[in-house]
Parts: sequence; C-alpha cells; structure tokens
Amino acid sequence: MLSRYALSGAVMALAVGGCVSTSDETPAVGTAAIAPAAFERERLIGRWGVASFHDEKDRRRTEAEARAQCGQAYAISKGPTDGVMMHVADDPKRYELRLKGDAAGRTYLGFEAPPGHPQDREILSSTDNLVTMRFVNPDANWRYGTFVYVRCRA
Amino acid sequence: MVALVGLCLMTCLLEPAAAQAPPLASAQETLDVGDEPGRISTEEAVIRDGPYARQVVFFRSSEPPGTLVVHTSERFVYLVQGNNRALRYGIGVGRKGFQWSGLVRVSRKAEWPDWRPPPEMLARQPYLPRFMAGGPGNPMGARALYLGSTVFRIHGTNQPETIGHAISSGCFRLANGDVIDLYARVPLGTKVVVRHDASL
Repeated sequence: MLSRYALSGAVMALAVGGCVSTSDETPAVGTAAIAPAAFERERLIGRWGVASFHDEKDRRRTEAEARAQCGQAYAISKGPTDGVMMHVADDPKRYELRLKGDAAGRTYLGFEAPPGHPQDREILSSTDNLVTMRFVNPDANWRYGTFVYVRCRA
Repeated sequence: MVALVGLCLMTCLLEPAAAQAPPLASAQETLDVGDEPGRISTEEAVIRDGPYARQVVFFRSSEPPGTLVVHTSERFVYLVQGNNRALRYGIGVGRKGFQWSGLVRVSRKAEWPDWRPPPEMLARQPYLPRFMAGGPGNPMGARALYLGSTVFRIHGTNQPETIGHAISSGCFRLANGDVIDLYARVPLGTKVVVRHDASL
C-alpha cells in the first residue's frame, strides 16, 4: 500500500510541477532537507474534534464546530516507531505518519519522505489543544480546506 | 407524519405517474457514488437537457399553487403553479432504504449551508472532517430548504451528474443553479408533499 502511495505521490508531484505556479512556496519533492519538527508527536496524541473551512471568515465558527464534534472524535495514537497513526487524504486505512520540519521552519506530517511531499499535511499552527493543518496536495487542499483539530476532554 | 418506506418496497423500480414523461429506466438505477466533499460545482450549474431540465409541465393536482410536490420515484420536484401547470425540476433522491414520504413544511432556508457527513459516511471515509463550513466545495451545494423537523432537506449539490439517481441518505438534491432558482420561489412555511409511489 505504501508503495502505491509513494508512486501516486510521485505522479502527483509531476502534476503539481507542471500545472501549479506555487513552486516557490512548496519545497521540491526529493530535494528538501528534513529538519527537526517544531514539536514532539505527543502534542498530537489523543482524541480530537475535527472540522474544516475554506474561507477565513468561517475559521472561528469552525473551531466551535470542531469542539462540538467530540461525540465522534478522531483518535490519533502513537505509531509503532516514532510517528502517529492517522489517515492520509482519500484512503480509509491508517498509516504511521511522522512529524518533519523543513529549512524554512515549517512542520509537516506524512510518510517518510522529504517535507512538503504531496501526501503530507502542513501543520499551520499548533498548541496542546488546537491544531490547524492542510493537505499539501493542492487538489486535496482545494477539496477539504483547512482542518481544525480541537482536543477533546477525556 | 413522515413515514420511512419499508425496505421491501425499495427493491422495486417504481412506475412514474401516467401524465408525466418517465425518465429512462437506466437513469433511475442507483448510482454507486459517494458524496465528494470539496468538489466544486458553480452556482451556474443547471440541468439543461432531457427530462431533468427545469421546465413547465402539465401537472394535475389538488394542491394549491405554491405547493412543492416531490415524486421520489420519478426523480422530480414540482412547484405547483395552478391551471394544471407546475414548474418541474430534476432531483436526486434517497437510495434504497432511505426513501420516504410525508407532508412537511419548509422550516428553514439557508444559503451555502454547512455540511456534516452522516455516521455511515464517516465509517467509510474516516478521514473526513466531522463538519465542513458551507461553500462551493460543500456537498450540500448552494442552497438548502429544511423540511419540517426532519433530518431531510432539499438542497444543491457539487455533483450535478447525480440528478436523476438514487444516491442520497433521504435528502433531495438539485443542481446548484436549479436549487438557487427554486429557493428564490419558495418562502418559509411552504407546504411540501413527498410522494413515494411503489410498484410491485
């Protein structure tokens, strides 16, 4: 499964390279150096209410909606090595994903690949109780928008 | 008031009313697609051709003008105009086991409504957000008419090709341009008759 995703990621990278003019914002896959992430995986472990928005004007109420979704919380658990168990876009299976930093100080979550890989999420902000992320893949980001994770009380 | 129709009735294809031109039988089959959150459909998307295109049709009914009559088996919603006429829109309807009938009223209207995927969808697609703020990528589409105190709505869609098919969880979906047109014509409190005519 992982190899299938690695392949699709490579195809996606070609498409991104050919169609999108944001290469100055997204590190070229395969060349970006991995730097330590800005925080440890423990910040992500737990149960989260999850919601998303496309328009900045909806951010605040999306946070409130995420908080209200703890009845059907999304659980992030420790992976078998140093990552966390989560889904990637459009795949119902969980994988171990790792936190990765890049030279610009951005933090990504994804497979063992250079930061900014098309299957990564970019973590836009994080505290112990509120994390925002988006998919690096422009299509997935366009479809799902910015995700807001609000930690659920036990 | 609102009665879920038994699953045994759902297994049968349904006979359209004699006065109306029936859509092709193949088009009435269940479409095996899921919602596609984030997929973009513009406000301009309308059904332009075929039986599901918005059009004035002959429609004999005892319901007063302004009433919405949903025929789930035909995949049409009629806005009664009087003088045996109605404005007809093609719709997507609930898949087998999710079709229903009843008498309700429009209890709320919303532009670009938010979306909350149902639990069975989250089970299939656990990576989805539990809430998505309204917008062009939202499966609820451009407008929603909430039906009484039920969980059902008449709403838009970001998948206009699903009009004429049975794929929803019991809501009725129109192409965004068509639901915007209907939304403008239907005030709060509008009577909505949902008919589901089963055949043997």
